[in-house]
Amino acid sequence: MELRTRHLLDRSFSAVGLLSIAAMALSLLVLILPIAVRGARAFAFRGTAEWRRMQLELFGRGDADAVRAEQRRAAAAKQPVVDAWAAFERELEGRPDAERRRLQAAARSLRPALAELLGPLPGEAEPALPRNRYGQTRWDRALVKWQAVKFRTEWDYSDPAAGGKKVLVPRARDFRGTALEPAFDHLERHLAEILRPRWTFYGRFLTDVAKDAHFFGGIGPEVLGTLYLTLGAMLFAVPIGVLSAIYLVEYAGENMVISGLRTFISTLAGVPSIVFGLFGLAFFLNTLRVSPSKSVLAGSLTLALLILPTVIRASEEALLAVPRTYKEAALALGSGRWATIVKVILPAALPGILTGIVISMGRAAGETAPIIFTAAVSVGLPLTPAQTLTEPTPALPWNIYNLCTEHEAVDEIRHVQYGMVFTLVALVLLLNLAAIGFRARIARNLRG
Amino acid sequence: MPSTEPQSDRRPAAAPSLMMSGRRQRWTRWKERLGRSLLFLVASVSTLAVVFIVYYIAREAFPFFRTGHVGEFFASTRWYPSREPPEFGVLAILVGSGLVTLGAIVVAVPLGLAASICLSDVLPFGLRQVVKPVIEILAAIPSVAYGFFALVVLAPLLQERGGHLLSIAAWMVGAPVVALAAVVLGDLAAGRLRGRRTAARAIVTLALLAAGGAAVWLLARRVGGVAIDSGTNALNVSIVLGIMALPTVVSVSEDALQAVGRELREGSYACGATRAETLLRVVLPAASSGLMAAVILGIMRAIGETMVVWMASGNAAQIPRPWFNALLPVRTLTATIAGDMGEADQVTGSTRYSVLFAMALVLLVISLFMNTASEVAVRRTRRKLRA
Repeated sequence: MELRTRHLLDRSFSAVGLLSIAAMALSLLVLILPIAVRGARAFAFRGTAEWRRMQLELFGRGDADAVRAEQRRAAAAKQPVVDAWAAFERELEGRPDAERRRLQAAARSLRPALAELLGPLPGEAEPALPRNRYGQTRWDRALVKWQAVKFRTEWDYSDPAAGGKKVLVPRARDFRGTALEPAFDHLERHLAEILRPRWTFYGRFLTDVAKDAHFFGGIGPEVLGTLYLTLGAMLFAVPIGVLSAIYLVEYAGENMVISGLRTFISTLAGVPSIVFGLFGLAFFLNTLRVSPSKSVLAGSLTLALLILPTVIRASEEALLAVPRTYKEAALALGSGRWATIVKVILPAALPGILTGIVISMGRAAGETAPIIFTAAVSVGLPLTPAQTLTEPTPALPWNIYNLCTEHEAVDEIRHVQYGMVFTLVALVLLLNLAAIGFRARIARNLRG
Repeated sequence: MPSTEPQSDRRPAAAPSLMMSGRRQRWTRWKERLGRSLLFLVASVSTLAVVFIVYYIAREAFPFFRTGHVGEFFASTRWYPSREPPEFGVLAILVGSGLVTLGAIVVAVPLGLAASICLSDVLPFGLRQVVKPVIEILAAIPSVAYGFFALVVLAPLLQERGGHLLSIAAWMVGAPVVALAAVVLGDLAAGRLRGRRTAARAIVTLALLAAGGAAVWLLARRVGGVAIDSGTNALNVSIVLGIMALPTVVSVSEDALQAVGRELREGSYACGATRAETLLRVVLPAASSGLMAAVILGIMRAIGETMVVWMASGNAAQIPRPWFNALLPVRTLTATIAGDMGEADQVTGSTRYSVLFAMALVLLVISLFMNTASEVAVRRTRRKLRA
């Protein structure tokens, strides 16, 4: 081969490596970006007048007088639509039968769409479900719903090769010549005056209880449940993990038993997380019966086993990184072995151990499979610390799964799903950033 | 490496004895021994956990092996656990697990190996410190977030413009490969032809470029026309699992490459090899068993993953036809356990319940086996490098 070709090959070899690193960074970006952008919209969005009414009525928040005044203004802007509807119903009587039936059918399909956009029209009974009691509370959703009012969807089967083709038909055409026709034009022009969107920051999304299957409210119980599970897992895993690491580093020699212990630790790290879940169910719940049903306690125990290898390894590394001279100096001063460990080695290794603990906290917070059968429920209220011993809890990872696969109206609550994913990812990333920070400080200390 | 040797074991106990009475000395020694055994007990929690996991999963799976359904477990593809009479054929589910794992490996291993080579040998130190957190963050993101991405972002994208994306992918992989192959083959051909080398090389290279370009173009057109019926399929899951397995593959194989050491590399450079030749002919073979361990750990990560496959694989218990058709929905062991246990739990002890434990046992055996394999591989590297 010619030298030039060899150099070309060499350079393209490096390029392939750089490209794959770029691909990795890109996939991280592609993953994080939608979650960050759309997740942030669960917290900051354009809330409508209906949003403020809902907050007042369901959560008792906001200035009642201001909300009422705003409702009056919104109702005034909505009045032409209401009047048009009344006039339309009156004039229906005078129409010939065939046309009346056609118009009635069109009105029957329009009315729920309109109610979803603006809330129940006057004269209707108060709906039982909160989701039907209010119009769209978010402006982005309102624009989507407005499209459903403006157009109806038809399927065109005229071309058998292409199958059904979606066609949007303006509803105004259905009501041409009736009193309802100008209402569409009015809505088109005055939708913002009716719904009065305003930038809203909803920080209490993190602490609010969900109302009506997550249609309204926040993710408070889920966040709290995740915190309970994570802290519970750390409560069991940290003492066991750190003591194990101390034993392995400071006491154990090199023999069969110890290398057996190490093999089992790496085996435990390789057990699939769903198997941990089944084990938690079969052992902690069905055999030990730590609680009568699924509970935070059983979930924490299962998660603790899952993160135990991570904690042990991180602590081991941190203990090994402590310079031998520290220990030798302490022993030379006549300190006992345990005193040396507690007073000299542990403090020196603490930042490293903390790094490992913080990273495994992130792992425990995000794991789903182990808590499905041991701790998680779809719907629940925030628990008190005492209830964690016996009660199951909603938790972020499980409810993300639940809301985007099993919820009755998946598309309506995308913002809640994204908000949950955003919260979970932010929590885990903050923990990891803290760990990276810790590590930088350790590196500086060791150098300085 | 434990930092204590047998000599230093005795030192702290012996030193105070100069000042202590015999009784106190004995007490100290007892205390020491007690503490030591307590610590040993704590350290064996992980071992106990593994033993208990194996025991309890096997115990709950045992009733299934006494029913008449064992035969169909590995032989039948018919998974109808709630029908009367029930059928527990797991073959399609096993194939599904294998298929998405294979897909994940196809994504993760080339990317991961290339990235780890780049990290250990190409990038300067400063840039490496920037790239490492990226890998850590990829590893830290919870699996349910990956699953959410696969289901809510990637699946609709694949469904609506899957053909388009596939043809872009075909170009991105095909074009550089063809260009490189054309240049190299042109060079080799020119070596054979002796006289008029430049002209011969130019002709061969151009001809190969044209032929390869046409082939890639045809391929891209072909896959561009593919319609994807459902975005939740094996391809989607393979891509996402591959990205999830990347951090494992990269960090383990980077360690393996680092462990090879400077001497081998410098020896190769001294012989006049370029960096690529050094890496391909010297470093990679020396690190091969470490790289094997990286691949095995990547496989383990993919095969044990639950949430992504549960959410985005389509959960259809079928063997795709042809078997490598990744555009069809599949169902995996983990997803079946997660999805069916909710219903089976009410009837603890039923066949439906124990069959899920039998599937978990299969998973457990696979992961124990792979874990041993990776341990052996790592140990072999260590021995090889020491020798």
